[in-house]
Amino acid sequence: MRMPPFTLHTPDNLAKALALASELDNFDWVAGGTDLLPNYKWHLNPKPNVISLAKVNELTALSGTVVGAMVRIHDLANSEDAHPLIRETAATIASVMIRRSATVGGNICLDTRCYWFNQTEEWRRSIDWCHKCDCDTGADCRVIPNQNTLCVATYQADLAAAFIALDATIHLASGAGARSMPFAEFFQLDGMTRNVLKTGELVTHVTLPEDAKNWQGAYQKLRLRETWDFPEAGVAAAWKLEGGKITGLRVATTGCESIPGDHSEMAASAIEEWSGKDSIRELSEGVRKAVKPVSNTYFPPAYRRKMLRVLTRRALAPLEHL
Amino acid sequence: MAKGYRQAPGKSGDKKRTDGKRVAGQQDFGVPGSGGSDPHSKLQDLDYVPESVGGWKKQPRGPHVHDRHVTGMTIGKSVPLVDANWKMTGQAQYGDDIRLPGELIGKILRSPHHYALIKSIDTSNAEAMEGVFAIATGQDSVNKFGVLPVTKDEHAMAQDKVRHVGDLVACVCAIDEATAIEAMNAISVEYEVLPSIHDMEDGLKDSEHPIHDRGKYHIGESNVQKRVFQQFGDLDGMERAPYRHEADWETAGLHHGFTEPHAVVAHWDPSGRLTVWSPQQVPHYLHRALSAVLDIPMHQINVHRTFVGGGFGGKSDPFPHEMCAAILARKSGRPVRINFDREEVYWINRGRHPSRIQMGVFADDEGRISGIETDALIDGGAFASFGHVTTYYNGVLHTAPYEIGGFNYTGARVWTNKPASGAMRGHGAVNSRCAVEVGIDAVSEQMKVDPMTFRLANLLPPHSRTITGFRVTSTGMRECLAKVREQSDWDEKFRNLPLGKGIGVGCGFFISGSGLPIHWDPENFPHATVHLQCDMDGGVTVHTGAAEIGQGSDTAVAQAVSEVLALPLDMIRIRSKESDTAPVDLGSYSSRVTFMNCNAAIKAACELRDKVMKAAWEITGYNPDVLVLGDRRIYYKHDPAIGVSWLEAVHKAQADVGSLIASGAYRTPPMGGVHKGAAAGLAPAYSFSAYVAEVDVDVETGFVKITKAWAAHDCGKALNPLAVKGQIIGSCHMGMGQVLSEEMKYGRDGHLMNPDLLDYKIMSVHEMPDVVPIIVESNDPEGPFGAKEAGEGPLLPILPAVCNAIYDAIGIRIDELPVTPDRLHKRIEKHCRKLGINDPLDLPVPRFEAGPLQKKLADRADEHAKRDHLRDIQEDRSSYVNGVLFGFAPDKPMAEQKEGWREAVVPTPKDLADPSKRAARAWGHVERRHRGDD
Ligand SMILES: Cc1cc2nc3c(=O)[nH]c(=O)nc-3n(C[C@H](O)[C@H](O)[C@H](O)COP(=O)(O)OP(=O)(O)OC[C@H]3O[C@@H](n4cnc5c(N)ncnc54)[C@H](O)[C@@H]3O)c2cc1C
Ligand code: SF4
Repeated sequence: MRMPPFTLHTPDNLAKALALASELDNFDWVAGGTDLLPNYKWHLNPKPNVISLAKVNELTALSGTVVGAMVRIHDLANSEDAHPLIRETAATIASVMIRRSATVGGNICLDTRCYWFNQTEEWRRSIDWCHKCDCDTGADCRVIPNQNTLCVATYQADLAAAFIALDATIHLASGAGARSMPFAEFFQLDGMTRNVLKTGELVTHVTLPEDAKNWQGAYQKLRLRETWDFPEAGVAAAWKLEGGKITGLRVATTGCESIPGDHSEMAASAIEEWSGKDSIRELSEGVRKAVKPVSNTYFPPAYRRKMLRVLTRRALAPLEHL
Repeated sequence: MAKGYRQAPGKSGDKKRTDGKRVAGQQDFGVPGSGGSDPHSKLQDLDYVPESVGGWKKQPRGPHVHDRHVTGMTIGKSVPLVDANWKMTGQAQYGDDIRLPGELIGKILRSPHHYALIKSIDTSNAEAMEGVFAIATGQDSVNKFGVLPVTKDEHAMAQDKVRHVGDLVACVCAIDEATAIEAMNAISVEYEVLPSIHDMEDGLKDSEHPIHDRGKYHIGESNVQKRVFQQFGDLDGMERAPYRHEADWETAGLHHGFTEPHAVVAHWDPSGRLTVWSPQQVPHYLHRALSAVLDIPMHQINVHRTFVGGGFGGKSDPFPHEMCAAILARKSGRPVRINFDREEVYWINRGRHPSRIQMGVFADDEGRISGIETDALIDGGAFASFGHVTTYYNGVLHTAPYEIGGFNYTGARVWTNKPASGAMRGHGAVNSRCAVEVGIDAVSEQMKVDPMTFRLANLLPPHSRTITGFRVTSTGMRECLAKVREQSDWDEKFRNLPLGKGIGVGCGFFISGSGLPIHWDPENFPHATVHLQCDMDGGVTVHTGAAEIGQGSDTAVAQAVSEVLALPLDMIRIRSKESDTAPVDLGSYSSRVTFMNCNAAIKAACELRDKVMKAAWEITGYNPDVLVLGDRRIYYKHDPAIGVSWLEAVHKAQADVGSLIASGAYRTPPMGGVHKGAAAGLAPAYSFSAYVAEVDVDVETGFVKITKAWAAHDCGKALNPLAVKGQIIGSCHMGMGQVLSEEMKYGRDGHLMNPDLLDYKIMSVHEMPDVVPIIVESNDPEGPFGAKEAGEGPLLPILPAVCNAIYDAIGIRIDELPVTPDRLHKRIEKHCRKLGINDPLDLPVPRFEAGPLQKKLADRADEHAKRDHLRDIQEDRSSYVNGVLFGFAPDKPMAEQKEGWREAVVPTPKDLADPSKRAARAWGHVERRHRGDD
């Protein structure tokens, strides 16, 4: 197995990185490379140019409310400043070794995954390719056939759920300037385009609301092994308690569809008349119904869906007696 | 003499005795010391010398024929593997580390189709590319090969058709990998796709294009590669049995999951000889296959086994890519290296067969096992590999450790368009053993008997014969069960734990070396041969063909030699890598190496020892009978100060006999029945094991976590307890993967979906339970120093122990492997629906209340324990065959004692009447030669 050849660019500040990006028309950003490089080795849509963000120091901020795109997952998981829910979630990502290289930006922008896609070139030749990497054959999607417009590959990154649950804002930058948006709006329901990033644009950092520290939360992840495995379903919940009452509740899911799911509206209405276990059960059922995984990861979709209910319930367990 | 005698240069004494005997402390040490890293000769370690020869080592099961060869040096001591430092320092050379000057890189073009005819192959574009040295296709290699001589069905590359995705079509070698890949992609192949078979049951049917054609031996027009029928005993007893458990098992295919992908280097040297470097478990079969495929005599080939980065059965076939490398090297005149990517490893496979096993376990009013009825259909994938044997093993390896009233086995292996299945650790025994042990658990529950007691009351004794005629020598089964029962607090925990927590027991039985060498009659050639060579330096070089694959065979043979010669391990050098310098050994499979190779080594070492002792006799004047072979020093029994150094004796021996060499060989004793297939499963000894596992089951998600395992294994004698414990713990890990997570997943159109280590789920360190390895030593009369195998047997019991623990935890009987969370969750949902329960947390848990048979069986178990002890210590060696428990006399043919007693290996139509039996359907076809056509 060989890496396809590419030119690696290593700008040492953000301005240079963005300038390079507007010069080169066909490139990928690389941060820790733990997602991009395995995909390149498998010849999954490699590009002739790769711009590394490793030396761009502006992207490494880390505090209770700011998380830079180039913060390593390991550092995030072990940071005393970071929000506990973010830390907890980060600690479940991949393995000890991978977390040392892996970054927040790479995690957020993780390519979507699919059994028919994350395979070697020889393997994909044996299925005559698929829409997401069709090698100019116009191949169909293997998961939902007879349509070659949509890819339903699964977004299996963990952090997004926690960020959405904490109502984070994502910040982007490009040669044309910077922009920000609520975290959930960053994603686009298509396994190929994935998110709103324009060519030449990158994620700089994520911010949490000022009162994030008043929010507690929990992250529940479904995976066969307690290391390496991507989330087959993930549920993050965050809540705010004031005077023994829940005054804020947000729930988000990941690992089930092409984008993470924001169920905060449902959660918000649940706390209007909160009744402990019953409300949790209802909310969990609601989450299960709202999310529709397809068959392209390790566990069958029906199981993942059912587990969303259990995971949500477990994430919300601290609110059982309220 | 706290430090013992100094092995440094000595001085000649002044006073010389004239009677030829030496004066204490005044011996000649005319030459430097006798080597070894310690300058002092250590005192004999009597803790490790058996009582029978004057040591302190207790022998609860009596003496052993090898006691006389025990010197207390290393046997029974935990020593690190002799090649460990090579690995720890990264200097071990694995397949991919071999680099020859001028090497070319080979790549293999593989089939993208499950099943297709090759219409044409055009290599012209690839040939024209710069940097491409040679291209080969099936045309370059028309000779067949295969690991078993009876089922050769492989070629280096496809001849006329490809049989699975990943099957080899062509190969190229080029100046570098990039060019080779480019050239490979430039070969164009025209295929005509054929309808492919993916479900093993389809393999039983007639097919328009059977995957192979065996001519007149082909079984009808089907894809049945092998079928086995065996009926022994009283089958009526099974039909009448009041207690019965019948289950229909589905077990997924597995891969060995070794770390090192296959790699091979081939080179034709200037003298016209071929050397092939490959991480092979069975270099000798590769040697033969290369000779057959390349049409050159074996003496022109040197097979060089590299360090093996894990094999577990997956590197024991001769492989087509090894042929390809040799063919390309011949064509190009340059060394050629081929390395596999991970998915190629899965495509060549040879892992555990996907299986559908119907298992019936029956018991009578006396709490005896009236019989075991098995129908095993196994999915062989595209080639035969070891499958002929696997088909037998799925049945015959559960005729022990229990005494059974009847045995009714139908087995069939079919070809499908998948990567070939083959031999994997616990070959053929694992799946059906799991089913038997779960059946035993279920039957004891029906009987209201503790499953420990039920097992203990039904064990075959030592020195007995199984229902199909296997000769059981030593067995430590009873002790294994007793130990895990005690150490796990079984009696307190069984059926007493809360919902979600469970405990279960399972047993195992495995061959310690296949009794029949595949390629020849054991009467003619031995199974294993060891040559020793000792030169002026006093160290001993061991030439053996036994393949060190990480299991420690180099260490075991070094220990055997070191023990007999009383030399420290660092004076023993193992040369086991090259066929040019190694005597033929059958290879590392069927858990044969320690048993056979160490036996050969002991013989060789004794021969060498006797030569050296004779020399010592001449020097000291004392007869070897009164000489002690100590640590690098031979001395008078009653006055250790009188003696000679090892080196001096060696030099004297060399002066007397010339070169100091010795040789030993091992062959199995004649044994076993005469029926067709009697040799399958026959072994000079068998290992036994019993495990208890404790699990936590999350009833809401279906996740199972093994929290602890007590693992008792009877390895006869632990030559190296460290290595035995390593094998037990490693086996637990591997078996745990099979029971909980590992499977080769095939997608809806037959593609292998997880040919990588992320999605082929090998359990991680986080999932690994605390394993308590318990070594049981049954002192096998024919094993080297009493030893039997410990490499495969220890894998078997963990599966049923976990399945039975799951039952204990949540009351659900497992019949599908692996028990992944999604599968178990489905079962839990179904179970809840059946019981009308909404919340799985409200599930009832099975509880135990002893029935009237409990006491009866406990008493019988106690009696049997006494019986077994007397047989162990040779106070009672009256003949015992399976059936005595049912009232048969052991010395008369069973058929004469009971009407209706069957011993049949060919079915009658009545035997095949049950339409639900799958493998039995294989007998619905008539072999072509019996059909009248050729
Ligand atoms: C065995 C294994 C297990 C894994 N398990 C998990 C898991 O459990 N959970 C999980 O979430 N992930 C998992 N991963 C995926 C991956 O390691 C992590 O998601 C990691 O955080 C990715 O970060 P990276 O810096 O390595 O990304 P990279 O590989 O460098 O980049 C990933 C993608 O993001 C883009 N990108 C990177 N930074 C930016 C940026 N600042 N702006 C715009 N685009 C950017 C890149 O172009 C690329 O497309 C696993 C990976 C492996 C190999
Ligand atoms: S979802 Fe469809 S298009 Fe997307 S990667 Fe999978 S098979 Fe390809």
